[in-house]
Amino acid sequence: MTLAPVFLGSLGRRRMATLFSLVAIVLGVALGMAVQAIHEAALNEFGRGVRVLAGESDLRVLGPASGFDETLYEQILQHPGVAHATPIVEVEAKLAGHEQPLRVLGIDIFTLARVAPRLLPQSQDKSDRFATLAEQSLFLSQAAQQAYGVKLGDELSVQDGSRALKLRIAGDLPGLADGQRLAVMDIASAQTAFGRIGKLSRIDLVVAKSSSPESLRRSLQGSLPAGVLLEAPEAASEQSGNLSRAYRVNLSMLAAIALLTGAFLVFSAQALSVVRRRSEFAFLRALGLDRATLIRWLLAEGALVGLIGGVIGVALGYGLAWAALQLLGGDLGAGYFSGLQPQLEFKPGLTALYVMLGLLAGLAGAAVPARQAADIAPAQALKSAGDALMIRNQRRPWAGLLALALSLAACFIPPLAGLPLGGYGAIAFLLAGSILLLPAAAHRLTQPLAERGTSVAWRLAAARLVSAPGYAVVAAAGVLTSVALAVAMAIMVASFRESVDEWLGQLLPADLYLRAGRAQSSAYLGEDLQAAIARSPGIKHLEFTRHDQLRLGEGRAPVALIARPLPADGSNLPLVGQPQFSTLPALWISEAMADQFGWQPGKVVALPLGGVAREFHVNGVWRDYSRQTGALMIDLAVYRKLTGDLRVNDAAISVDDPASSEQVASRLLALAAGDTLEVARPGEIRQISLRIFDRTFAVTYLLEAVAIVIGLAGVAASFASLAATRRKEFGMLRHLGVSRGQIGAMLALEGGLVASIGVFGGLLAGGGIGLILIEVVNRQSFHWSMDLHVPWGALLLFAGSLVTLAGLAAVLAGRQAMRQDAVLAVREDW
Amino acid sequence: MQRRQFLMALAAGYGLLPGSAAAVDFAPVLAGRRLVFPDDFGAHPDFRTEWWYATGWLKRQDGRPLGFQITFFRVRTGIGESSASRFAPRQIMLAHAAIADPQLGRLRHGERAARVGFGHAGFTLGRSEVWIGDWRFAQQGDRYQASVRGEDFAYDLALQAAASPLLNGRDGFSTKAPDPRHASYYYSRPQLAVSGSVSLDGRAEAVTGHAWLDHEWSSELLPDGAQGWDWVGINLRDGGALMAFRLRDTSGNKLWAAASLRSTGKIDQIYKPDAVDFSPLRRWRSPRTGINYPVAWRLKIGDREFELNPLFDDQELDSRRSVGTVYWEGAIGVSENATPVGEGYLELAGYGEKIKVG
Amino acid sequence: MLEITSLSRSFNGRVALHSTSLKLNDGEYVAIVGESGVGKSTLLNLIAGLDRADQGSVVLDGDNLSELDEAALTRWRRNKLGFVFQAFHILPHLNLLQNVALPLWLQGDSGAAADDTARQMLEAVGLGERAASWPHELSGGELQRVAIARALVHRPRLVLADEPTGNLDPANATRVLALLGERIRAVGAIGILVTHSREAAATADRVLHLTPDGLQE
Repeated sequence: MTLAPVFLGSLGRRRMATLFSLVAIVLGVALGMAVQAIHEAALNEFGRGVRVLAGESDLRVLGPASGFDETLYEQILQHPGVAHATPIVEVEAKLAGHEQPLRVLGIDIFTLARVAPRLLPQSQDKSDRFATLAEQSLFLSQAAQQAYGVKLGDELSVQDGSRALKLRIAGDLPGLADGQRLAVMDIASAQTAFGRIGKLSRIDLVVAKSSSPESLRRSLQGSLPAGVLLEAPEAASEQSGNLSRAYRVNLSMLAAIALLTGAFLVFSAQALSVVRRRSEFAFLRALGLDRATLIRWLLAEGALVGLIGGVIGVALGYGLAWAALQLLGGDLGAGYFSGLQPQLEFKPGLTALYVMLGLLAGLAGAAVPARQAADIAPAQALKSAGDALMIRNQRRPWAGLLALALSLAACFIPPLAGLPLGGYGAIAFLLAGSILLLPAAAHRLTQPLAERGTSVAWRLAAARLVSAPGYAVVAAAGVLTSVALAVAMAIMVASFRESVDEWLGQLLPADLYLRAGRAQSSAYLGEDLQAAIARSPGIKHLEFTRHDQLRLGEGRAPVALIARPLPADGSNLPLVGQPQFSTLPALWISEAMADQFGWQPGKVVALPLGGVAREFHVNGVWRDYSRQTGALMIDLAVYRKLTGDLRVNDAAISVDDPASSEQVASRLLALAAGDTLEVARPGEIRQISLRIFDRTFAVTYLLEAVAIVIGLAGVAASFASLAATRRKEFGMLRHLGVSRGQIGAMLALEGGLVASIGVFGGLLAGGGIGLILIEVVNRQSFHWSMDLHVPWGALLLFAGSLVTLAGLAAVLAGRQAMRQDAVLAVREDW
Repeated sequence: MQRRQFLMALAAGYGLLPGSAAAVDFAPVLAGRRLVFPDDFGAHPDFRTEWWYATGWLKRQDGRPLGFQITFFRVRTGIGESSASRFAPRQIMLAHAAIADPQLGRLRHGERAARVGFGHAGFTLGRSEVWIGDWRFAQQGDRYQASVRGEDFAYDLALQAAASPLLNGRDGFSTKAPDPRHASYYYSRPQLAVSGSVSLDGRAEAVTGHAWLDHEWSSELLPDGAQGWDWVGINLRDGGALMAFRLRDTSGNKLWAAASLRSTGKIDQIYKPDAVDFSPLRRWRSPRTGINYPVAWRLKIGDREFELNPLFDDQELDSRRSVGTVYWEGAIGVSENATPVGEGYLELAGYGEKIKVG
Repeated sequence: MLEITSLSRSFNGRVALHSTSLKLNDGEYVAIVGESGVGKSTLLNLIAGLDRADQGSVVLDGDNLSELDEAALTRWRRNKLGFVFQAFHILPHLNLLQNVALPLWLQGDSGAAADDTARQMLEAVGLGERAASWPHELSGGELQRVAIARALVHRPRLVLADEPTGNLDPANATRVLALLGERIRAVGAIGILVTHSREAAATADRVLHLTPDGLQE
């Protein structure tokens, strides 16, 4: 510790550079920590919910969202391997006046007590033995009461189809965890209230001691109807975790940007500081400081910045997480954990990990400069001044090209455990390669400039970059990193937005859309209403759509089924690739289905419809941005024939006269009593969708901007510290008759050139990373493709501003070094 | 679940059920209706509540005694009478079983509840047959089969009747209060010969013994102001049988009482309230609940006087976690003039806090 | 011709230079020696136009420095002056040829002619074959020879050398001093060598002593 003032004290002497490195690391750690903490909280809450709901059950029988025949319950009960079984009807109940549906479980309190006792309702009226069985009585968890602003004894109006139904809140669910939004009612009441007579959604089982979940699964699975399967209760937790994991990893990417920028800022600050302190180190070495100790101390400088950044970062991260949970919820508004109110928990392990990441960023940044400093030959360094250290030719194009080749190869790695790890590897290699190629690129790019220029400032600035690309690397690497990642995100987001916009246009060709509520909720349009809509005047064309969810395999998340009138060639779908036709009923699958189930056009697959496996021919693949777990589309007439289900969820309506569409809309709304119907116009839907899209990515833009500003500020700080070491050079030039303006111009050009190289490299690398994000990362995480849209205008403006800013920053940094007394520094004795 | 307590709960709670109670007409219990067998062995789903309740003494291989009890309740809830759902809880079944093992010094017990339907739980008309899952009490002629699987016990017992049912009250019309509205149809089958097997903690052994079966149904049983009751059913060694009960008010005084006595070679005798007297001899305080139970009694029926002593003191049944009630239900030995004359079961309800429902 | 008349300069009331006069003809090469703190640096800065005198004047070939503004002074230095520093101050990121050509660039002469001139100058200081070398490849003596080439490449009227051998070993010092004198004479410039060392001073045509009372032979 005796040398602490010599080394760690140096951080204090270059406050600005240290501060910017610190801020970047704080930002990276905070962002990563926040994303992780929010996600942990949401997953915990979700897991806790699943555990409560699952209770003691070992297995659950699951079917499509529309349910399966209740006679299966009888069969299950008689199976000798089943100790207890409890039937459940699960409904996403549409509440009149609320957009967010309420999850209602129809339960049998008697059998539930043996399987999941914490789900048991508690009646407000303690004296009524059968209050929990009473019809039209709802038992609402605390969180749900809060969310819907109701209390015990109130009435809630729920929708069955387009019919409003009043349910009394007769009690609560004391066994539920705090954050669970859930309601429970008697199973018979639920079947009656939500038109589910004869249907069950699930049966939760406790396996008899004489049997095992595995053997029970084996003996039961064969006898279950098509589309009904057995699953361990934890599967729901896993599926949800998998679903949101990809989302979380993408958010963590932003954190990585900031953290990498931080590491590069530490690198440039340390590299330049090492140059400046060269003779100091030489002197210390001459006094007997050994090489290893010198390296250790220089690493300690970076580590200290990283550690402080890490500690502040995690604190800030928890703060951010708290605020985000308050404002947006556990999935930051992405919809993976609806119905949960997660609680933030302090996780010591995780926190330590993120502090470590900050520390590592600091260490990584300090590593190379420390090695260089230690390589200084003391005698030489003591004798000659200046920055010979940086002059060494650091052009290693081969390492860079190898990294780029590895990046390309990594793009072809399939997703591992559902994560696009290959894609992330490719991004890392691409970045590394770009930075390794930076010296060579700097040399190549500035060489012709240096030869050609006539002004002294230009020649001096270019000559410096040609012969000392080390400088360019130090200053430009941070710029390149932040620019590359920002550009990549910009390209990805722009492509995504454009594609979503086009997709919405293709999917919403009608003038009006009428629905009773969300697709998977308890709202639907009954047959009478369908007839009434069809009779309604002013309608040119009418199409109904039916939604369901199917289970296609154990451990697989449910898949959306959409039935709507489809032309034979699928021409009203946003198709990807060429369709194939056959005589079998046509099935059109989303890209997620193709990716996750390996289905391709031409394949014949079985879909469980109405409890029976039916053969379909996969005709084509369509693009779907809204259902990450996959969606299937079949013709409505085929669906009705196979299932006998005549309900629909929404109606797409083209009107005779566009001018009268509002009158048509109000006539349609009047078809059902109360406010149970909703009319949406494609323009509105598109506007809302894009607004949500923009809001989701607004955070992204903001964070990118912050990362870039910090990156630039870091470059300015680097230049300032560098300029200080060049006072004598400036002084000599003034002696030779170089004017102050010329030195200013030289510095601006140097800054601009370095930034240009960084920005240019960043643009190229960013384009590459953008492509990887689109073609590999998004495709593998979310299973959707998008068309490439490069926001040229925005990118050019962005690049130009960055170069200008960098030049300005360099001039400001050099101003101090150009003061009159600097001129005299030339002949200072030292 | 204890039957009278449960009925009391029903009585207390029912009027508060919104809407539905008024909409249902429960069959009334009327004086003068004669019980007809075998029809009346079966269930009476039109009535609000009904139970089959068997208790008895068993002899293990080494001669040591055990007490056993099994009760099945059928309840018509008045809910979902017009529902189209097969899950509609129109009828629910509740069951309770226990083994009194002096070796253990406390009861082993278990319980089941279910709505009727899906074959899981139900009852049969025309003969005594009720079940919830693998718990079952079923009649076949003069033979009843009781099967129960609890956590730490199980039994499979055949109960063989040799005599005709003992009709309590007026030919099976048993009043519970001065107002005849509060009444039930009630018969008993005493002196059932028992054989079968009991397993305790997984070890099965063959047993023999004798048992008592009550079958009672009603729609409006208990009068207001009833705090609890004492009931006893005794198989006398001379082949006779004695049933007696009394209802207590909040101050512990007799609200109503009745008794039936079968003696060999005589017509069954029915006693009026003033001919039945329960007086406690000894109390036992439960270390778990702090409730003071009179576990030993002097019982006067007409001119006869019996002394009732428990097989062991701690036969308290604490089901507060599931059903919410605590009571004492246990095997007793009976003596007359200091001579053992029989064995039976005693039930003491309403000695703790005021009964809570749910 | 350089004519210095009654030059005085004080810093915060402390007299750094007192009424010093000097007159040098073209081709004249003098050495100025003196104790530390006697005002050598102040004198040099005033002659180079990097500092302004409180009193007195510096006139080179008719140009009176006190009459020139900042921009004009910079131009004047660019055209008329050559410098040799104790610490060489060769720009590390320019090769030797570029370093020597730098004063020509400053005069707006950056073509092949400038390169030729610079190459001739490098040949003249014995480094003609190393025009493409980088400064860090050279020894101290060689660097100072580059500096001499740079100081004279644009044929300045006045060459100021401030302890040019301060960082050199005696053998190199002798060679550099000989070269400096030779080159200054070759272009017919006025040369002023400021030094501590009597041996170094002896290589000049005459030696002047700077004392608190002014310059003396």
